[in-house]
Parts: sequence; C-alpha cells; structure tokens
Amino acid sequence: MTLPTVDVVVVGAGAAGGIVAEQLSLAGLHTVLLERGDKFGFSQTGHDELRSQRITVLGNAFGPDDKHYVRLAQTSDGHFVRVRPSEGAYGNNAACVGGGTMSYGAMAWRYTEKDFRMRSTYGAPEASTLEDWPISYDDLEPFYSKAEWEIGVSGTMGANPFEARRQKPYPMPALPLNTEASALFKAAQGLGWHPFPIPMAINSVTYQKRSGCIQCPHCVGFACEVNAKNSTAVTAIPRALATAHCELRTNCITSRIVTNDAGKATGVEYFQGDHALTQPCRAVVVSCSATESARLLLNSATKLFPHGLGNNNDWVGRNLQGHAYAGAYGIVEKDLFDGLGPAARVACCDFSHGLPGGLKGGAMLSNEFIRLPYLFSRNAIPPGTPKWGLEHKQHMRHSYKRTVSVMGPVQEMPVFESRVEIAPEVKDAWGIPTLRISGHRHAADLEVARFISARAEEWLKACGAIKTWPVLPGRGVSGGQHQAGTCRMGTDPQTSVVDRYCRIHDMDNLYVVDGSVHVTNGGFNPSLTIQAIAYWASAKITGDLRGRSAPVLPLPA
Amino acid sequence: MKIDRRLFLTILSAPLYPAIPLVMLTAGEARVVEALCAQIIPADDWPGAKEAGVLYYIETQLAGPLERFVDNYKNGIPRLMSACREQTGKLFTDLDPAQQKQFLQTVEAGPDTELNRFWQVVIDHTMQGFYGSPKHGGNKDETSWRMLAIADVMEGHNH
Repeated sequence: MTLPTVDVVVVGAGAAGGIVAEQLSLAGLHTVLLERGDKFGFSQTGHDELRSQRITVLGNAFGPDDKHYVRLAQTSDGHFVRVRPSEGAYGNNAACVGGGTMSYGAMAWRYTEKDFRMRSTYGAPEASTLEDWPISYDDLEPFYSKAEWEIGVSGTMGANPFEARRQKPYPMPALPLNTEASALFKAAQGLGWHPFPIPMAINSVTYQKRSGCIQCPHCVGFACEVNAKNSTAVTAIPRALATAHCELRTNCITSRIVTNDAGKATGVEYFQGDHALTQPCRAVVVSCSATESARLLLNSATKLFPHGLGNNNDWVGRNLQGHAYAGAYGIVEKDLFDGLGPAARVACCDFSHGLPGGLKGGAMLSNEFIRLPYLFSRNAIPPGTPKWGLEHKQHMRHSYKRTVSVMGPVQEMPVFESRVEIAPEVKDAWGIPTLRISGHRHAADLEVARFISARAEEWLKACGAIKTWPVLPGRGVSGGQHQAGTCRMGTDPQTSVVDRYCRIHDMDNLYVVDGSVHVTNGGFNPSLTIQAIAYWASAKITGDLRGRSAPVLPLPA
Repeated sequence: MKIDRRLFLTILSAPLYPAIPLVMLTAGEARVVEALCAQIIPADDWPGAKEAGVLYYIETQLAGPLERFVDNYKNGIPRLMSACREQTGKLFTDLDPAQQKQFLQTVEAGPDTELNRFWQVVIDHTMQGFYGSPKHGGNKDETSWRMLAIADVMEGHNH
C-alpha cells in the first residue's frame, strides 16, 4: 500500500534520528519517524542484569530480539557463522525508541580539535584509511553546545584542561562523586594528572521538568526509572511529536529506500506487521547506526546504483570502527563500593593525544559504572584466581566491594577491510537480506591500548591497589554500541560516502545522519558527537527542503 | 559419541530429582547438573548454587532464552559421564566432592575440547543463576546479593 506523500522520512528513532525528526518538524516539515523497535518505558525493561543492554544472556530488554534478527560474524579462522542479537559477535545496539540512548551510560563527551584532524596530527599509518574530517571542531562547537542544552548535560566547565574551547557552560552542575571516584580523583592528582568529573547526559538537578539523578546503582544498560537519563525518547522525540508535524511509527522495519530513474530518493518501503507499505517523501534521512545504515543503503541497489546507494566507489560499509577498550582492574584494601550510581564519575584526558614513542591517538581514562554481580563473577576475577569453586566464591565475597576498574576507549585507526556487507543468502524474519561483519583492528590500536592499560594500573596503584591486572583488547573488529565509520563524511566522492552535511554525494535528497559518517571515532564515547552532527545536518536538510538557510542556527561558511 | 548401555540405563533410572518438576532435563541429567552447580559454587558459610536453586534457573531458561544450549546439555552430560567413568571407573555422581573437583580440573586441562566447552557453558549458566535476579529461578532469597552485602542496594531495583 502506498501512503500519502510527506516531506521527510527519518529511518531510526535513536540518538541521531530523534534529533533530526525534532529539528525538521520544529521547522514545520511533515516528518515520519520510522522505528523498527518498540517504545519502552522503565516499567517494561526494569533492572534485570541478565536482560540489559550490557548483559544479554537472557535477551536484550531493549531489542532487537533473537527470533526476528540474525547476522553473520566472522570467526578467527575466517569463516562466517550465524549470530543472534543476544550473542556478543552480533554487535548489537538497542532497537527501540531512543535507540542506544535509552540504556547508555550517558557520558557526554565532545571530541577534541585533534580528533577531527587525525591525519594531519599522525600522518598516514600503513594499512589504515586514516583521514581528517571535512569539518573542524570549530564548525561543530555551536552544535555541541546546542546538544548539551537541548538534551541536557551535567558537567563543570573548565575542569578538564585538555577540553577544546567552549563558548557556553554546561546547563547543569556535575553529578556528585561517589566514594570510589573521590579516591581515584585524589590519586590522579597525586600522580600530577588532571582529573575532573565526567560530563553526563544525566540530570543532576531538575531539568526540562524531569527529575535529577537518584544515584541508583543500575545505570548503564538500563532505562532510568525517574527519566533523569537524557535519551532522545524523553527529550527530542516528545518535542517532535508535540509539534504535530511529526508522526512516530514503531515496529516498522524499513527494507528499502526507493529511488527513481533520475537518481532521486522518492520514498521508503517498510513492513509493519504483515503489511508491506510504501511511504513516499521528498527526502530520506537514514539514522539506523553504522551497521544497519550501511545495510539499508546496500539493500537499496537499483540499475542506476547497482552496488547500493552511495556506493559507486565501494566505500559504504567500509571502515567499521568502535573503540578498543583498554584498562585495568585493581583490588584495594578497604571497601570503596558505596552502591551510588552512576559511579563512572572521574576521568583524565592526559592521554588522549601526544603519547610518547610515536603512538597514534589515545583514550580518555575513567572509572567504570557499577559492575553488577554476574558480570563481576565472569570479568573481574584476577589471573590466578579460579573461575569456579570455593576460591571463586570467597573471592567474590572478599573483593566485590574492593575491586576498582579504570578503562579507556582507545581511538581506532580506520581499516578499509573492516566492514559491513550484505549476506544475500541469509534473511531476517521479514525476508530482508541481513549483513555480515568482517575485518580486524589495526595493530597500532593494540600498542596504544597497552600504554593506556599501563596508565590505568598506575592510577589504581596510586589509589592503594595491592593487586592490579590489565584488560587489553584483541584484534577482532569493533561493531557494538560505539559502531561508526561505515558512511564516511568527506569532500572527495571517490573516498567518502557523504558530504560535510551528511548528504550522499551523488544524490540530492538522501542523507545519512548517525555514527556512520564519523571519519574517526575519537578517544571518547561517541553519542554527543553523533547528536551534535544531527543538529548540524538538520540545519542543512531544513534549508535544502525549504529552499533557504535553516532557521535554527546559522550555517558556518 | 559413544555411551555404554549400562551407563545410559543408570542415567535413565536415577532417582527423580525431588524438588521441581522437570521439563527440559531428565531426572538423571538434573542430578548431574546439580552436582556440577555444587562444584561451581559450593556451600560454605553461605549457601551455594545447589541451595540457591540454580538447577531450577537452568531448567527454566533452557525452555526459554537459553534454548540454543539444550543440545550442549543433552550431548555434554553423557560425554562427561563417559569421560568420568573412563578416568575414575566411577559415575560422576558417585564421586565425593573432592574427587569431582579433581575430575573437573582434568576436564579443563584435558584434550577433549568439546567436553570442556560444555563445562564452560555450565559454569556460565551457574554464575547467571546464582548472581542474577531471583525472578529467573536461581538466587533464591537473594542469597548471593546478601552474601555480597548488596541486597539493600539491589532491592527495590529488582523489577
């Protein structure tokens, strides 16, 4: 069935799609926001460690579900195996209104100037497609600020001496440090480092009529029971719907972007239950996250675009990246656990760039969210301590409240062979060809990871750890919650997929707005950057459709 | 995979596990799984996985989200029993706890990777059942949370 034409279809109601839908509908454009998942509240998803976004052994409360979705993942010997969303190799990001922002940890980082100029800073490492972004930090700064104020970020301006220039303070003061974070704060100062409270998209006080954080221990992996966590599900999307210009359709599985003989997008095809629907429109925005956005473009091939939309030069799906997490655990002599969330509260950016020995990139280092008991039982056990038996149980009892972890998202060097492709022979429940993920991390990432891990152990020892042990990443490709890079932004259509405003190079009304466009992914959690770019691109899309520059913020030259 | 007939009959004729109705596991299989659970998290001053009902967690979840592991159990249990008989001359469930532990340590160090894979699956499921939410069948009376002195933190957030 073909529906009446609207101005814009936004596919994916997550971190970016929610903001694009809000901005376009505020500008008076008739917007349809399609979401494959459901709309959840805390009452449906709860505080169940085994069914969270982080631990999915009994499924993921935020979707997608194992019954309808499947992918192929590459094993270490090069074969492809079927994986379901609850398995780690699937590289799952949530499927629901709000996307990953419903259940994320909500660290709200700005990348630094150098993060947008990695090629200029570090040259061109062999076997990497490392490149500068076509936009600078200065281009994006007003949009970072807009994201912080519109979504709501708590933090302390000026507390991080390595932070890039910012014009406005945070709209809310930083959340308090818990016992562990306070101890680590002092320890970092003792080392001559520069600790500061992590900026979080979590209300520290009542903001936009929603409550401040109640410091429960269930933060990352869960929806917030008082809506103090600022997902697009409780911020941008309700504001979009309030304009009456935006229509949110949930449980809608987009299968294809429709294009005409002139190479213009004319609508999208999707499934809602048993119904196959076509939604015609003047422009399409793809915001499905790096893996699924690439899949949708590749699945929309036509005679004119035989390799998929935006893929004339074989760059769609390439450069899949995330972060190579590195750090350490330490055991201290007295309990530092006080049960107060969100717990991840103190960070140092002393090692984000400028590492010795020619190391390329770096990572922000911070303490971790509260490790709930099952995750702890598997991941926080020191080498030499048995993984089962009485010793394991007694270790749990003795060390649960004395184990501290410091971790950092090591910036990855993009690798052309790390990619998302269509697996035509394997289909999801709607008969849509699924994707397969293959590739590997760059060797340089592991060198940086070792350095970062050594700093983490140093920090923990300074905090009184009597025993520390490293956590190091392997060579396997990243593709989980920080997935990025598959539709690179650039000025040269030969070596990128979208232009600096997220428009597909060879099409005038198809945009990709999400982490896919990241040229590099910073040494930070990426959500605030995804959202700043969503504001940046929305201003341009609105202008394109209105035939004038955007009403929200002036576009930089 | 070869199982001798006598062993097979022993598994079938083992006494019915008394406390819970079994759907996914036979009574014999349940006895083995419960013995493995007790090795993974034994009782000391605090109840172990057996007392916390982890068998019930595994039995319940094998009929749900852990369905893809059913074959691991169906193949792994007889494999473990055979290996144990070959090595010790006894049924696993007839060994005393110290002997069971010793045998399982040899499984981890041994060449039978398939058997070890099964053992690792049981370890993981036992940790889930013991440390996860009681609503899934294990962690009876929040045993593990009380042992870790975090019941106050978890309570009220266990929806």
